[in-house]
Amino acid sequence: MPVLEGKELRIVAFLCNWCSYGGADTAGVARATQPTDLRIIRVPCSGRIDPLFVLRALLNGADGVLISGCHPNDCHYSAGNFYARRRLEVLKQFLPILGIDDRRFEYTWVSASEGQRWQQVVTSFTQRIHELGPAPRLEDAEPLLEMADMALKPLRPLGTGQKAPLDELKACIKSKIKDLDVVIGWQQGYDAAHTVPLFMRTEEDVDRLVWGPFNVNNPATYVNEMIGKAVPLDKVKKIGVVVKGCDSRSIVEMLQEKLIDKDNIVLFALPCEGTFDMARIDRELGRYSKIDKVEYDEAGVTITADGTPHRFCITDYAQGKCYNCSMPLAKDADDIFGTAPEITGTPSTPPELAMLDAMTLEQRFSFWKGEMDRCLRCYACRNACPLCVCKDYCIAETREPHFISQEWNVREKIYFQYIHAMHLAGRCTLCGECQRACPVGIPILALRQQLVRIIGQLFDYKSGMDSTATPPLLCYKVEETNIKQREL
Amino acid sequence: MRIGVFVCHCGSNIAGTVDCKAAAESALALPDVVYATDLMYTCAEPGQAAIEQAIHDYNLTGVVVASCSPRMHEPTFRRTVERAGLNRYMFEMANIREHVSWIGKDMVANTNKACELIGMAVAKLRNNRPLYAQRFDITKSVLVIGGGVAGIQAALDCADGGIPVILVEKEPTIGGKMAKLDKTFPTVDCSACILGPKMVDVAQHPNITLYACSEVDDITGYVGNFDVKIRRKATYVDWSKCTGCGTCTEKCPSKKVPDRFNENMGLTTAINIPFPQAIPKRASINPQYCRKLTTGKCGICAKVCPTKAIDYTMKDEIITVKVGSVIAATGYDLMDWTVYQEYGGGKYPDVITSLQYERLLNASGPTGGHIVRPSDGKEPKKVVFIQCVGSRDKSIGRPLCSGFCCMYTAKQAVLTKDHIPDSQSYVFYMDIRAVGKLYDEFTRRAIEEYGTEYIRGRVSKIYPDGNGQYVVCGVDTLLGQRIEVTCDLVVLAVGIEASHGASHLAEKLRISYDQYGFFLEGHPKLRPVETNTAGVFLAGVCQGTKDIPSSVAQGSAAAAKVLALFSRDKLENDPQIAHVNPARCVACGKCIRCCPFGAIKEETFRGQLKAKVIDTVCQGCGICTSTCPQGAIQLSHATDNEILAEVNLLCQY
Amino acid sequence: MSTYRFAKSSDLPALLAFFAKENRVLVPVVKQAVKPSVVFAPWKEGMDFTLDKPTVPAKEAVLPPSETLVTYEKTRNPEEPDKFLLHLDDTPEATPTVVFGCRACDARGYATLDRPFLNGLYKDPYYAARRNSLTVVTLTCNSGCNTCFCHWVGGGPSSPEGSDILMTELGDGYVLQAVSEKGKAVLEASPLADGQDREKEVMETRKAAWATLSKKPDLSFAPDRVLARFTDTDFWKKETERCLSCGACTYFCPSCYCFNITDEGSGMGKPGRRIRSWDNCMSSLFTREASGHNPRAAKAERMRQRVTHKFATYPENWGAFSCMGCGRCISNCPARIDIRQIVLDAIALGEKE
Repeated sequence: MPVLEGKELRIVAFLCNWCSYGGADTAGVARATQPTDLRIIRVPCSGRIDPLFVLRALLNGADGVLISGCHPNDCHYSAGNFYARRRLEVLKQFLPILGIDDRRFEYTWVSASEGQRWQQVVTSFTQRIHELGPAPRLEDAEPLLEMADMALKPLRPLGTGQKAPLDELKACIKSKIKDLDVVIGWQQGYDAAHTVPLFMRTEEDVDRLVWGPFNVNNPATYVNEMIGKAVPLDKVKKIGVVVKGCDSRSIVEMLQEKLIDKDNIVLFALPCEGTFDMARIDRELGRYSKIDKVEYDEAGVTITADGTPHRFCITDYAQGKCYNCSMPLAKDADDIFGTAPEITGTPSTPPELAMLDAMTLEQRFSFWKGEMDRCLRCYACRNACPLCVCKDYCIAETREPHFISQEWNVREKIYFQYIHAMHLAGRCTLCGECQRACPVGIPILALRQQLVRIIGQLFDYKSGMDSTATPPLLCYKVEETNIKQREL
Repeated sequence: MRIGVFVCHCGSNIAGTVDCKAAAESALALPDVVYATDLMYTCAEPGQAAIEQAIHDYNLTGVVVASCSPRMHEPTFRRTVERAGLNRYMFEMANIREHVSWIGKDMVANTNKACELIGMAVAKLRNNRPLYAQRFDITKSVLVIGGGVAGIQAALDCADGGIPVILVEKEPTIGGKMAKLDKTFPTVDCSACILGPKMVDVAQHPNITLYACSEVDDITGYVGNFDVKIRRKATYVDWSKCTGCGTCTEKCPSKKVPDRFNENMGLTTAINIPFPQAIPKRASINPQYCRKLTTGKCGICAKVCPTKAIDYTMKDEIITVKVGSVIAATGYDLMDWTVYQEYGGGKYPDVITSLQYERLLNASGPTGGHIVRPSDGKEPKKVVFIQCVGSRDKSIGRPLCSGFCCMYTAKQAVLTKDHIPDSQSYVFYMDIRAVGKLYDEFTRRAIEEYGTEYIRGRVSKIYPDGNGQYVVCGVDTLLGQRIEVTCDLVVLAVGIEASHGASHLAEKLRISYDQYGFFLEGHPKLRPVETNTAGVFLAGVCQGTKDIPSSVAQGSAAAAKVLALFSRDKLENDPQIAHVNPARCVACGKCIRCCPFGAIKEETFRGQLKAKVIDTVCQGCGICTSTCPQGAIQLSHATDNEILAEVNLLCQY
Repeated sequence: MSTYRFAKSSDLPALLAFFAKENRVLVPVVKQAVKPSVVFAPWKEGMDFTLDKPTVPAKEAVLPPSETLVTYEKTRNPEEPDKFLLHLDDTPEATPTVVFGCRACDARGYATLDRPFLNGLYKDPYYAARRNSLTVVTLTCNSGCNTCFCHWVGGGPSSPEGSDILMTELGDGYVLQAVSEKGKAVLEASPLADGQDREKEVMETRKAAWATLSKKPDLSFAPDRVLARFTDTDFWKKETERCLSCGACTYFCPSCYCFNITDEGSGMGKPGRRIRSWDNCMSSLFTREASGHNPRAAKAERMRQRVTHKFATYPENWGAFSCMGCGRCISNCPARIDIRQIVLDAIALGEKE
């Protein structure tokens, strides 16, 4: 429906039935004059509000979105607003990285008796939105492409892992393989510079296990389909997984969410010395060069491609996550070989995120438009994600619920990325598989990096570290230490 | 779908600032709308009749009424459409009065907004599905947890209403805090005299089963059908044989046992009966002090017991009962006042709590009703009462007012004078809160007739003066002077908090509690005895501070709620609850973790784990729906698609 | 005798401008990123483009990722206010298009799509409209790469199938050779200089390209051998163990053509759309039935479908593999599943048996 030209802006409000909707009624009964822009959607509880509704509204042209629920401790359902507060605060802090002004979204608490307060909230929020003016539209944004600077310093020396006690590990796996349905690791792929996941069932399979900087895939991605909760109970078996430190965090996160049972999984760990960013190697070699051979030394590899040798030092060509890695050796593994190196220094802002941090809101909006334009919606990002456990039922492709359409535009494409990111909030361990899997190189990891940063700051929490912790968006505190109430 | 839209003028309430005719006409451009009209008063009889008629004439399958707030008339119109044969959930309301016509005078903007709100209602209605309530059988019995005066009242009222009651009390006797009191304010009548008969009624009522020395271990189920596990703690006395004759307590050689009932103001025996009027009047053994149980040598009580009721091998027993409703009446405990180091932190024998003082006043107390100092047994002549010890004190994180201390302090001052006519009482207070019937008059009497000296100010320090007396240092804020009172006895009005263990019980009952452990009522004003868990009600101080009359009133109120609930043979659930689509559920369990009511369980469905909503427990908040990443669990009548339809109508790019 | 034209690198913008006079010209452009990609985009004056191998095939020119098949509008019948009039528009949308700089594998993709869409029982009018207004200018490959294998499946670096013009890079520029009547007409109307004299050089360059290709196995038994594995669940399980069930392989395939149809909008106030969008057989959702039952619930069954279709059933119906050997499903696969290996394994197993 059209917005009254020149007079109104599109402001959508979600109000809980018990407090704030009643508050708005009270304001009406008191004839408390309010601006006419606001349109109220009544929901049972602020806890019912999926942040995706807000993002949908903002993407579809809302100039402002307001949410109001019962004051903390007054929720009709006792805890709905506590969950809402965490989720909506995360959403609010997430918006700027998308290039959306976070002042366009606000959440607050109004009780059924606070008619006057409701009038005040509506008036000041509407005024705020009018001061901001109409929201920028994706259609109008000029696409912008920019590249992150990957020159980084690692927190520990990187290497090629050729001195890792691989033979001891193999012997250990061989001794246990009879009791396990499968052990996941890596083997050489179609050439010496590519590895692919290896599924070991026999001792001969174990001999094919490799360890080194080309072990980029996260084997945790396969865990859910083998022993996850959706697997028919009679098909769940015990599996083993060889993990790098980062891979183990995915598995710890799954344990934390009780998606898998510790009794069904055995972790084998070696100290990881870093893995290559194959995208940057391919850029050097040419994506389609024929690899003749790969020679290892302590600090890197020499890849001979189409007859020409190219030297890659791991310190210059590691994956972004490796530089910030503070857990190269899985600490919770069942069988650990080798020792973890000493970690020095503190992690820096991930490069993709640093790039976005340096941009203005408009530039970020343009950036995502420019990047998402080439997305083919192949969903490799989703399917490579070890924590996307509902991928076969993903709302990206359903009509019930119908969050997203198959229409071909940047809005729908980017909405999926918002969905994926929001669904990973408080869960993502930044394994980077989504970005690595993207065939067209969209730097979608930045969205997750921002979420991880927000979650860290808000809840002092790092996912995938402690299998007994509760993910921060699946719990709440009555008094939140780091969520500051904003006045409207 | 065939939708009819009815736009209400509400006289001039709406039509004054909204062009209702234009709004109705605009609705005809909306999908599935086949009929739209405007009516003068839709909620009035002719208006409702017009809706019913239109449903018949136009074969409507859904109705939108644009009028006042759905909080006002949604139930009315749902009944209207139901009368005309539609499912009551095939109805939506657009609030064009409270949210439009009453909050602005701009006719153009208002009419446009009304049209959009109607559009949203139609968009949602197009996604609505008929919903049907389920009826289920109920167990018409009630569990009352806590045998204080509130629990007793609730139990008696329910029992009188014909409902079997199971009363669980963790102490060996019912009566609660009231049984420990000497007199009650403002009438100064004997506490035991008014409570005693009620306790006897409990014991004698054919509909009440009393489990003393028992606690609730676990509660599962939902309104109408709770399964309760009660732990009967070992008393080492077979109560079916014990007659309460008291021979054992006389002969018991272990005589230096702190007397819990007397607030540790005296000593008792290892086997004892708390007080003469105890209900049940049965002996129980304190295993910490019993010589037979600690050293294996003694057994005197078993020898002297005329009914052979002593059983040293007794173990805790778990019994399971089914009830349809639960009343929590767990009362309160005193906070740990020893955090006040300036009051001696518990080191001075003659600085006691007001509840201990009650026991000194009481004729059946450890001193036979004589006020004596615990240190030397002498009669005190100067008594200082200090108010708000652990109440209204932010410095120790307790800003709450305990509510009844002002009144009982006045009563204790009056009783002190009665017991010791040549005594002088001093009360250090912050404000006198005497808001009940005859309460202020009573306080005035304490001051004016009994000469109690009220000093407005806080006490900064108490210290012994070395001559057996205590010096109480404070400030008189009315005079603006420092003040020191030398006295023989100090009585602290210690602040209250929910009884220890209340929070654990709340978790078992799936109800909320506040920072002091008091249970959260359904609504602070309008649902003061209900909780947000259907079938669980509250009575007494467990919900918040209150005095005896309020506790009794709330006990009766809770009983009334239970009786109303049980006036039907079957209960109907609200169909606006969550449902899991097992074909889409991946059993990730996020919904189970978030549900505040424990209404979602995991079950095996065709060999796979799936979430399952317990229809009767679900309250319809929808936290699960916004948590489920793939939308497998949907809250009926607020599904993702219903809400998205409204969002998409408003935001179409 | 073919028509040849010659263009220096610096002539190419002028050539594109010539095409762009009456066409949308899709050219490969580099999307700079840490992992750069080459995608097709409509050319505009002054735009940078590349002749590197595109990451994405130019399938979108005939089968867009998403297209509106029908728009529908509902209006109230003024005669009978509770009845509606429905207005449908299903005119195929087709902009005359030139695809410039695709590879021989991509062009062969068009030929592969033509068979089911144009030559079957039903002719797809949307596809046909676009295909008929398409001109394909293919750059022949001067060398093979690590993942491509066009010569295994009936193509080659300079296969003319599906193309209108073949363009071959020489040291000093490009020779364009018309390989269809349409191509001939376009070249003759173009502003390019004659290149007939470079024919010999072109042929030598193309021959040299063949020499760079990997050894070609005999795939003549592939249809039978792949089909023979159909019931061998263990085989498919083993081959697809590392599959993530994403759609990268199909979405980056020049010849995958599965689609889905969805309706959006009520058609009142704003026209409703019936949308056809790419779908992929790797997704569990693709075959899931309304009941929840899924005949291809396991990823092994889905991969079997894809490989069998490309190497057995499509050949059975249309006489050619529907794999173009472009290798994009390998290079774009997050788990680097190698379709070559699956086919070779099937053949080897068949031989053993």
